[in-house]
Formats: sequence, C-alpha cells, structure tokens
Amino acid sequence: MYSVQDLLQKHAETLALKIDAGKNGLKRRITVPEPYRPGLSLAGYMKQHASKRILLFGRVEAAYLADLDAATRKQRLEALIAPPSQIPAVVFARRMRPPKELHLLCEKYQVPLLRSSMSTTTLLSRLNMLLSEQLSRTINCHGTFVEVFGVGILIQGDSSVGKSESALGLIERGHRLVTDDIVKVRKKEPGYLEGFGAELTRHLMEIRGIGIINVGHLFGAVCVRDNKSIDIVVKLEEWDDQNFYDRIGLEEKYCEILGIKLPYHVLPVKPGRDLVLLLETIAMNHRLKGMGYHSAKEFNAKLLEIIASKQKRRPREAHPQSKG
Amino acid sequence: MKLIRKVRVKNGLGLHTRPATAIVKLLQHCKSSVSFSYKRDTINAKSILSILMLAAKKNSLITMTIEGEDAGEIMDKLVTAFDNSFGE
Repeated sequence: MYSVQDLLQKHAETLALKIDAGKNGLKRRITVPEPYRPGLSLAGYMKQHASKRILLFGRVEAAYLADLDAATRKQRLEALIAPPSQIPAVVFARRMRPPKELHLLCEKYQVPLLRSSMSTTTLLSRLNMLLSEQLSRTINCHGTFVEVFGVGILIQGDSSVGKSESALGLIERGHRLVTDDIVKVRKKEPGYLEGFGAELTRHLMEIRGIGIINVGHLFGAVCVRDNKSIDIVVKLEEWDDQNFYDRIGLEEKYCEILGIKLPYHVLPVKPGRDLVLLLETIAMNHRLKGMGYHSAKEFNAKLLEIIASKQKRRPREAHPQSKG
Repeated sequence: MKLIRKVRVKNGLGLHTRPATAIVKLLQHCKSSVSFSYKRDTINAKSILSILMLAAKKNSLITMTIEGEDAGEIMDKLVTAFDNSFGE
C-alpha cells in the first residue's frame, strides 16, 4: 500500500513538494500512477471523473479558477474533492497559490494539498514515472542475484545446488552481490526488470557449514550493491547424463518473468566444473553479444560460407571430367 | 499432490533463527516443493534466510503450500512442529 505520506517522505525533494493543507489525510492511498489535470471536471462536466487519481493543477486550471465567482468556485472544487471521490491528493505546480476555498475544503475532507515549484508537465511526467515504479507488482524469486562485469545474473536452482557458493566465489573475484536466497523482482520502465533484496536479509548469505555471513562487512562495500537490472537468468542443475546440454549456443533460450523475456542458460553442475569461471564467461559473452558479436553465429556464418564455396567449386572440377 | 493449509505461529518470539533452523532441518530430505506465504510475501521454505525474512511474530498466520509426492507426510510434520512451538 502506497500512501501520500510515503510519496512525500521519499520524493519530496526530487519533486520539490511541500504540504499546504490537509495534513490529516496523509494516510490516503495512491492506487493509480497517472496524475489527472481536471480541465473538464472543473468546468462542471463530471462524467468519467477520475476519482482515484492525483489532481494536478497547472497554470490553465488556476487561471480558470480565478475567473470563476467565489460560490461557483467552491461548488466545483467541492464536487472534485468531496466523497464519493477518493482522490489521494491535490497538487499545484509552478509554486502557485491555491485559492482559499480549496484550503478549507482540503482541511474539511482531509485531502492533502501539495505545492511544487516544478513546471506542470515535468511534474506530471515525473510523478507518473515514480508512481508507476512504486505501484508496479513485486514478486519474490528464489535464487541468488549477482553483478558480474556489470551484467546482472539471476542464479536459480534447487536448494544446495551451489548458488551461494558460486556467488561467494564471484565476490572473491571482485564481482558484486545484490541479494542471496530471496530476490524481489519489480518491473521498471521502459520494460526491464530490477532485482533487489529484502530489507532484513540484505547482503546476508547462508553458507552450509558456516552459517549466516554479512558480505558487505566481510568483503567490503565495493562487493555489494542494493539493486540491479536483471540481464540473464542462469539455472544451475545437477549433471544429468540423459540430458543433452547446449553445445553450440546458436539457439537462444529465453524465460519470462513478469512478462519480460530474459536470456536463459542451463548450467549443469559436476565436480570439477569451475562454476565461477563459467558464470564469468556467460557474462562476458553476453556483453560481447551486446556489442554485436555473437561467437556461435559468427562461426556458423563462416562455416556455411566455406561449405558454399566448396560446392561452387565442385561443378567446375566435375565439368572437364564429363567432357573427357 | 498439492496441499494448502494455514498454521499459526505459537511460540513467543515468533519465527526466529531456532524455529527457522528446525523447519529447514525438517525439510532437508523432502522431495516436495514447500512454500510459505505471509502477508504479501511467498517464499521457499527450504531456504533459512527466506523464512527469517518473513519476520513473522507470535500469532501470525502462515499459509503453507506443499506440492509433491510426500506432501501429506511433510504437512503433518510441519503442522506438529508449529503446534508444539518448535519445542519451546
């Protein structure tokens, strides 16, 4: 549940917001991310009035209000704010002074009245972006989330397959831990996923035989980070002789989390396979692909070219024979 | 087989490290997948840090979901452990 108070606590500075009236209504819930500029509603047209969105007043709305006579102004504003309307807050942009009727109404109906020094459109888009992120669905994934060469790798797999141990190995090599065991995943705009840890267990790891360790304290602040975009999902699984593992890497596999497709690798675990090195290689290969070089595809193209050139040559070689 | 059941945390200190260890120990050789839901979080009950993250206090209700071949047996064991306040 996200309230107006949460918005003010976290983003009062970035949005240059100050509260003017209606402090008792700070607990009001914000459920819709898009703010609403109440043009037609102010003019008295209340059909389809967006009663759950933050009301944002810009220069036009303020000028229109100033032109109305006091009685009409009060009546129109009351229609916007009074129940059954459930608007979370009223915001005035450009440091404009709200009319005194609105002050009184906000106190009466306990609706926070905020003012910002930002321009209306900038405030609208920032509010929209911030609230979309805050209100987006968060899911919990079981796994370990690390940053390797700047690539966010979500390591999944059954219990005791070696997720935490490989993460520890990566940290020792100078890579970073985001979170172990429980990864909270949130969809961010425009269309990528962000992984972060739970507040209580942030930067903690559980290693069989040692217990709970704090990576941030043990290895230092450079070895941890709070959140990161998820770029690849790697699934660790026990080596199965019956299973055929990817040998070429031409076929790209994907998995879907919260409706977003992510490259997916299955990495079989076997004594003697250096998981840390393998994970580093996956990260480097991902970076290389991002730069436009796909090792497997490049090799395949070269191979096809050579085969094709041989096939071209063959008819010519065969020709003199047929003549002779 | 999929079983879903709600249990109440009965021990005074809630789900702290000792009960969490007991749960993980109980699930060590279990073949089913076990998850706990508390408030808005759903977690894998085989991971001790995940159980601790819930920070469930006394009297909180936890929904257990067990799916797999030994679900019935595991559910009985877990319910008994919760009812006995993990021996506290």
